[in-house]
Amino acid sequence: MTKILFTDKLESCVERWRSAGMTVIGPVQRANSSVYDAVKSASELDLNLVLADRSIKELFFPQSEPMLRYTITKSEINTSDFKAPSGPRIIFGARACDASGLAIDDPLFGWDYKDEYWFQRRNETVIVTIACTKADEFCMCTSLKLAPDSTKGSDILLRPLENNKGWLVEELTDRGREAFKAVADLLQEGSDPAAATVNVPVKFDADACAEWLKNPENFDSRFWKEISVRCIGCGSCTYLCPTCHCFDIQDEGGSFDGIRRKNWDSCSFALFTMHTSGHNPRATQSARWRQRIMHKFNYFPGKFSANSCSGCGRCTRECPVDMGITETLQEISKLSQ
Amino acid sequence: MSIEQQYRTRAKELLASGEVKMVIGYGPGSTADRRRPLFITSPEECDRFVLDSACITNLSGYLVTEGLLSDGKRVAVFLRPEGVRALNVLAAEAQLDPDQIVIIGFDAPKGELKALQGSTVDDFTYLLAALKDVTPEIAGEQLLEKIEKMSPEERFAFWQQEFSKCIKCYACRQACPMCYCRRCIVDSNQPQWVNTSSHTLGNFEWNIVRAFHLSGRCVECGNCDRACPVNIPLRLINRKMAQEVLDSFNHFAGTSKTQEPVLASFKKDDSETFIL
Amino acid sequence: MSEPFEPKITAFVCTYCTYAGADLAGTSRLKYAPNVRIIRLPCTGRISPMFILKALQKGADGILISGCHPGDCHFTHGNYHARRRWMVFRALLSFSGIPEERIKYSWISAAEGLKFADLINSITEDIRKLGPFDQYHQLIEETQAQASL
Repeated sequence: MTKILFTDKLESCVERWRSAGMTVIGPVQRANSSVYDAVKSASELDLNLVLADRSIKELFFPQSEPMLRYTITKSEINTSDFKAPSGPRIIFGARACDASGLAIDDPLFGWDYKDEYWFQRRNETVIVTIACTKADEFCMCTSLKLAPDSTKGSDILLRPLENNKGWLVEELTDRGREAFKAVADLLQEGSDPAAATVNVPVKFDADACAEWLKNPENFDSRFWKEISVRCIGCGSCTYLCPTCHCFDIQDEGGSFDGIRRKNWDSCSFALFTMHTSGHNPRATQSARWRQRIMHKFNYFPGKFSANSCSGCGRCTRECPVDMGITETLQEISKLSQ
Repeated sequence: MSIEQQYRTRAKELLASGEVKMVIGYGPGSTADRRRPLFITSPEECDRFVLDSACITNLSGYLVTEGLLSDGKRVAVFLRPEGVRALNVLAAEAQLDPDQIVIIGFDAPKGELKALQGSTVDDFTYLLAALKDVTPEIAGEQLLEKIEKMSPEERFAFWQQEFSKCIKCYACRQACPMCYCRRCIVDSNQPQWVNTSSHTLGNFEWNIVRAFHLSGRCVECGNCDRACPVNIPLRLINRKMAQEVLDSFNHFAGTSKTQEPVLASFKKDDSETFIL
Repeated sequence: MSEPFEPKITAFVCTYCTYAGADLAGTSRLKYAPNVRIIRLPCTGRISPMFILKALQKGADGILISGCHPGDCHFTHGNYHARRRWMVFRALLSFSGIPEERIKYSWISAAEGLKFADLINSITEDIRKLGPFDQYHQLIEETQAQASL
């Protein structure tokens, strides 16, 4: 016997969490685009998506975050800090790849400097992941040794029932247990079988790729130019990526007052590495694409023992010129044989 | 012989004879309905080219890739009529020498592939001039009418919602053949006119700047609209501005390689009803 | 009682005509609404649409752009170029939901001090009637607040 959350009880759960002061967040449609946003009612949730267009990363690392306000007078400079919004939150209906992405980025944001914006939100957010029963041709979590029902980064894992009337509840962390205690009476014991998770085919050999990338001879391989010749240098792959975490600090305002902000930045942009002198050490788009792949599958694992990719496939799904990590690693797999 | 086969042969001949150093066309994509830009430099590889109605991306933007044409050699490129118009705008703005480009023209009105005769921009003058009088259908035209009928407050709210989705990935800019500036105005910070942050104000400003810089230059190829990962209906803004320059100045971008850019020219009797 | 709304208006003017016109208004002791901040530029051709966006970004409720009458440009055709640009930019702003009434364009010569004073007064009254540009101000306020989630 396991605990089951039936779909018709979800509205009551949302009400319960909200009245307990939690912000309930889930996948919703906003003007022809799917995104995770706060909801007032379960009816707003779109739980039928394979994957929302945008990842849950931005709920922890928003595209633009104010950090401090400065005012400069004749005699002094005053600053006041901005904090991340506080208060408990529950994300209902995350996907395993997105949740894993957060766990992948945790050591990065806590490595030398502990990023308070990230960790405050991480500590105050319960992540309820729903195992995938469908996938599209771009999904590739299994190639990264994850799965449609990976528990990495999640607090609760829900497995859809075969009859599609609810979810089996697996409590993974204390934070998850705590949040579900508030709705304990809305759950039912049952023995309904869970639907099988979707079979996502393995598309490349990540270990073989890692070996190839580690070989210094391959840094200057012609491969990089060939694979990225059509890259137009936009940032859609990096900004939709659940693990890409680069940011830029910008002062916005005037000479005497303004706000310092932390904005997303992308290694795809020429400006990312441009020096003041005009010299650009990553002068070509192929060097930028190489950096992205090397960072995710060589440098990052070298430091944090995990690939900086959770296999959501958004990079390929949304690429204007049909590039992406999948193809690049498939080609590297071939080269490394 | 299919058009695809015909054009593969043509690409092969162009490369084999040394007339061009590269052919830019389409190859199969990662799924059955996707096509991707393909760059071929040896005649043996020309069989990799695919040509059908799914070949939509306007490839003319690749022609201004830094260094591509600086050796004076020629490049062939698969272009739809919008692509040829884009090429004309680039030539008119002195971004490339149109004599270095060999056009492999095609179109697919209503999904039916057809070959277009000609290889230089001049060969297409007649065809392009005729396009001026036909306004091609775009998805969501009803929405455009609806927006025009809205009150300013409603219009503002509509675009506010659309632009609040923007993540400033600049895919619209990068995908656009007309956005060739070495340094985009939003990437400059001395002075910094527009907020670089991707809050709704910054997004609003960016989208206005983008649309203005393309006014009278946009050929409505749709690259930006398709590139947008959050589905902002950029085509509606482009259509509105194209219509505006057509109505106000009888200007249809990209009809010839010597066309005067509409906002870099004037007539003494231009309309000025709005000036007090 | 709350203070009456005083609109903030930014005027971008060319130095040869409208600025000289404003000067004439001053030396003629003509009184006009103090709601306008004048920014002097060499020519209307130098007035980039970026300036208009910047003024809005800084909280302007209304904007005036003014220069030499057609044919009078010190640089012979700067104002002709500007006129085309305004035509297009105006349509774009309107399509984006920025009301046309908030952004005005005029030709004012160095001799038209009276026209300048009258125009400033009438624009100030018009914008006062429209009220503050709340929709835009709300976007500005968002940039001053902490992240929403």
